[in-house]
Amino acid sequence: MATEGALLSATGITRRFGGITAVDGVDLHVREGEFLSVIGPNGAGKTTLFNLISGQDRMDAGRVTLEGRDITNLTPHRIAENGIARTFQHGRVFGNLTVMDNVLIGCHTRLRAARSRVPVLAPVIEILRALIRPAPVRAEDAAMRAEARDIIATFGDRLTPRIDQPTYSLSYANRRRVEIARALALHPRILILDEPTAGMNESETAEMQQIIGDLKAQGRTILLIEHKLNMVMQLSDRIMAMDNGKVIAEGTPAQVRNDPRVIEAYLGHSSIGGTAPAAKSLTEGAQ
Amino acid sequence: MTILSLTRRSFAAMTLAGTVAALSGAAFGQTSGEPVLIGVSGPLTGPQAQYGAQWKQGFDLALDKINAEGGINGRPLQYVFQDSQNDPRQSIAIAQKFISDPKIVVEVGDFSSTASMAASPLYQRGRLVQFGFTNSHPDFTKTGDYMWSNTVPQTQEQPLMADFATKTLGLKRLAVLHLNTDWGTTAKNLFVDAAKANGAEVVATEGYLPDEKDFRATLTRVRAANPDGIILESYYADGALIVRQLRDLGIDLPVVATGSVYSPDFLSLAGDAAEGVYTTVYFTPNSPRPEVREFVEGFEKKFGQEPNSFNAMAYDTINTLAAVMRQYGTTREDIKSGLGQISGFSSVIFPDVSFDPETRRVSGPQMTGLVVRDGAFTLYEQ
Amino acid sequence: MESLLSLPWFDFTISGVVIGSIYALMAVGLALIFGVANLINFAHGSVFTVGSYIGWTCAVALGLPLWATVLVVAAAGGIVGALIELLAIRPLNHQSRIAPLLATIGVGLILDQIVHIIFGANPRALPVSLPNLRFSIGSGTIGAIDITIFVTGVISALALYLFLFHSKLGMAVRATAQDGDAARQMGVGINAINMTVFGIAGALGAIAGLLVGIYYNSIDPNASFEIMLKGMVAIVIGGMSNVPGAIGGGLILGLIESYGIALFGASYRDLFAFAVLLLMLLLRPNGLFARAHAREAEPMTGTFVTRAKPVRIPAWALVAGAVLIALVPALGQPYLTQVMTNALLYALAAMSLTLVAGTLGLISIGHAALLAVGAYASALLTMAGLPVALGLVLAAAITAVLGAALTYPAFRLRGHYVAIGTLAIGEIVALVILNWTSLTHGSMGLYGIPPLELFGIPLFSTNASYWFVLALVIVFALLQMRLLSSHLGRTWRAIREDTIAAETYGVASNYYKGLAFGFAGFVAGISGAVSAHQFSYINYDTFNLLTSVLILTIVILGGLGNVTGAIVAAIIVAGLPEVFRTLAEYRMLFYGMALLLLIRFRPQGLMGSD
Repeated sequence: MATEGALLSATGITRRFGGITAVDGVDLHVREGEFLSVIGPNGAGKTTLFNLISGQDRMDAGRVTLEGRDITNLTPHRIAENGIARTFQHGRVFGNLTVMDNVLIGCHTRLRAARSRVPVLAPVIEILRALIRPAPVRAEDAAMRAEARDIIATFGDRLTPRIDQPTYSLSYANRRRVEIARALALHPRILILDEPTAGMNESETAEMQQIIGDLKAQGRTILLIEHKLNMVMQLSDRIMAMDNGKVIAEGTPAQVRNDPRVIEAYLGHSSIGGTAPAAKSLTEGAQ
Repeated sequence: MTILSLTRRSFAAMTLAGTVAALSGAAFGQTSGEPVLIGVSGPLTGPQAQYGAQWKQGFDLALDKINAEGGINGRPLQYVFQDSQNDPRQSIAIAQKFISDPKIVVEVGDFSSTASMAASPLYQRGRLVQFGFTNSHPDFTKTGDYMWSNTVPQTQEQPLMADFATKTLGLKRLAVLHLNTDWGTTAKNLFVDAAKANGAEVVATEGYLPDEKDFRATLTRVRAANPDGIILESYYADGALIVRQLRDLGIDLPVVATGSVYSPDFLSLAGDAAEGVYTTVYFTPNSPRPEVREFVEGFEKKFGQEPNSFNAMAYDTINTLAAVMRQYGTTREDIKSGLGQISGFSSVIFPDVSFDPETRRVSGPQMTGLVVRDGAFTLYEQ
Repeated sequence: MESLLSLPWFDFTISGVVIGSIYALMAVGLALIFGVANLINFAHGSVFTVGSYIGWTCAVALGLPLWATVLVVAAAGGIVGALIELLAIRPLNHQSRIAPLLATIGVGLILDQIVHIIFGANPRALPVSLPNLRFSIGSGTIGAIDITIFVTGVISALALYLFLFHSKLGMAVRATAQDGDAARQMGVGINAINMTVFGIAGALGAIAGLLVGIYYNSIDPNASFEIMLKGMVAIVIGGMSNVPGAIGGGLILGLIESYGIALFGASYRDLFAFAVLLLMLLLRPNGLFARAHAREAEPMTGTFVTRAKPVRIPAWALVAGAVLIALVPALGQPYLTQVMTNALLYALAAMSLTLVAGTLGLISIGHAALLAVGAYASALLTMAGLPVALGLVLAAAITAVLGAALTYPAFRLRGHYVAIGTLAIGEIVALVILNWTSLTHGSMGLYGIPPLELFGIPLFSTNASYWFVLALVIVFALLQMRLLSSHLGRTWRAIREDTIAAETYGVASNYYKGLAFGFAGFVAGISGAVSAHQFSYINYDTFNLLTSVLILTIVILGGLGNVTGAIVAAIIVAGLPEVFRTLAEYRMLFYGMALLLLIRFRPQGLMGSD
């Protein structure tokens, strides 16, 4: 895979925990508008890889660039400012914040009220702006809220009626939706989704697949980790399979699904929870 | 209402005093009418609570005597003890309470400088005398002309102690350990000045925190300075810890401690290590003066133990105020002007109580050198 | 250099080991409890004190022989420990993680106060005849009791180690420590385990109290907190739940203190202890003895704040309340007015703390340090001739900057570590004030601070200063509420809920923590500065650890993050001791009980967390 033209390029990513190499020299390249999925059994290093790219963890070796800019081992908030938004495997909404406030946090990187460039006095100016709220600050706030309402509305009547409720009161599936809404509010160059349908039932999964399909149709660049291989096969332009921290196969859905190493990796881990249905759906997908 | 805030013990003591007075009848005169009230602000709970308890012993004994002798010209003398926990936030609230209660004619306390001096501006503006008897901070009486104190000023106590250490005992190289509080630091500074004036050398000074218990490392450092005598500006509990650990470390130098260690508790806490410790005191139960004999015997009878200097100061304070009231009247202003005039009154600590109207402090305590022999404080004789 | 080398280093080492064994003895029990209950037991020092007094009762009052005394003390300590678990900790199983920690503070207050009431405040001698063996070592001696303390520490650590790793019950204890829920599913009786562990730790703490009492020949009802703090530093050095590590941590702390005294003098001892604590938390939070590259713990997603359900008070009620409070002086009782002034100064401090502890989720036990900084800054500036009004504003600004800078080291800490770290920072500030004599006059304090006045108008009358403070409370409460409704409030709450997720969405969490501490510092600085002008005299102890604990109690009572809650709770807490004043000695006891019951039955506070 050529590095040129890639929006996001990660090369030689390595992360060791004690004696274990969780991610071992992984290369990953995503083009503008591409939908890339990463699959693999539990413990393959997928989430660790995403944590390294989005800054939650620091890599021991490797280099990440976004549109040619080096973003290796930047702090998470710098990486967010560069336009990478991600959701989390187990869902990490801000439980005591309302749906609206959760989504507004997604707007944070664009908030001019929080972006004073005056040296030394910037903190004072930010507090004063929040206290006095001059017209530009109020206008910006209103605009952001309107936009957040629009994003929330893309989830139909799932979230809009609950917009002022704290998210701890929401169902699990709705909290995952809030997470995606929050990620969209960042206006991401790349959207990273870590198992967005984990823990969802079939109808919820179908609905989520619809939403992700719509996002793809908008031409967004998306990186997905997912165990539900049917969904992966239908959505992805390209698939990367990992096992034991290494990339074992890469290519179109058709290429990957027939790769013997992928089938072996899944079957070889059949004793690990969650892999049996995955292996089953892999075979189903292959039929 | 005010009676309620007295604790059971002092209430019982007063009832007892009343009974005694009633039985002895005309010989001493019975008290009646509106009581004369002294407001006390001090610690009854919290880390300094033991001092509040010791104050009360001294106060109660003094009241027994005063009220048995007819109170203040026939009216009973009583006190209202408000617990400040030695906290400035509470002592200023208590000050408001006392100032606005017209029955309170004089205030006594608080314990520490922090708690006392925070309340001073209020008493000054409220024109109620604040009478401190444990307030050794040199600035305590400087807030205004309503601040008075019969604390033995350290400016008098420390030079006498320095004379004792350098002239009487002939020490030449001194190491000073002091509590790192306003009291301990003032004492240390005055002592060091006086000792140097006497030609002695101060080879080490170490300040320690009030809750310190371990002194081995500090004393190792002190020994390295090679002194020929150790000076303690300590209270009795920390003083006892220090002399024990001195002996554990095999340091056999003479120890001169300030009068605060003069307490039976010092002897029991320090055990054998107290042997040979010198101190200079302005109060000793061994003194033959009649005022002291009466106090010590009365105290031992009432409480079954020997009094310490906090007991004595508390006892003196009530007696001094009673003397002022009897002679000059019981209004707040009477007491203020009376304090400036009183003379010829002999208390346990001062053979002649008289206040310098400028500094509003008493002068002329008698200092006695003591040494611990066979587990008891005994008069030091050369 | 020569003079340094000529110091008696061997003797300092012995001194360090002797005091270090005492710290180690404390630390073993603390480490055991932390390992199983994931809790710093602030009541452990009080169990120590209870042990020393039971020891006194047996050995001195009843004249029992030493072996019988040890047995009784161990049994009694075990019972006290088990009761703490049963009555104070177990009911809090499913509450926020800060709840049990605060409950142990409440239990500590109660135990200390009971000892106080029964035995009085005077230190007592504890003369117990041990074989009069003294060994010369270096230029000093050590006695049988020193060796007993050291050996008891080592033996108990060894016994615990064997128990934990080679017995069935011990395995269950460790399983509980690693994953309570999983252990429960495996059929481990967690309650029985916890109770056993608190019992063992209680017995150890009580024996420590007895031995240390014998060592110093002095027992004292006020020793609890100090000795607990040293034990806590020791377990931070040794690794929080590492029992043998606790012994090492205690000895290392003893040596550091001893060498520190050798080089700088006695007044710096605690400064060293707390500086070490802070450094350890920052550099080696898993302790000195942890394996170098242990995998970082999973980021904590939970929060101290329970589900926010603040009680919303209608605006008219708030206005009516403010008017009623403003009319207090009309009652014509200056005492009441003064008590209310104190309450409002606490309210300012509590509003400040509720912003960082509640809204931002950083539970601080060192907030009094900010009051002290404000108080000293305004006192020094106005004593140098600045007008009081200017002094107040500058002091608040200085506290804002210093507040953010001083607490910066704690920003990267999480959970209980924030509480310990801020406690250390608070103590360090107090000790720097004590030792920086040229600026602060050290232990003499600052005397003659000018009274309150604004632009030449004196405010020192009781009523004027009351209204001034009330105005400050109202203004800053409104400002704080306005901030909470802005993007800052949203951002701070997001950091509290999930710092990792907030960072992932572009929130520079350290910057926003700094902003919160800056605003909180400004408010706390004003509160401290006004107090200084009221008191006219302050010293390093005016704003101490107890003040910090009291402010934190107010914040929890009011509901974490709740501004009106902080004000209401401040009035209650400052008023409560006045209600209990007639009970004299029993006041603190009631106070501790009130704290305990509150945490048990209304953990979200009176007004709900926000």
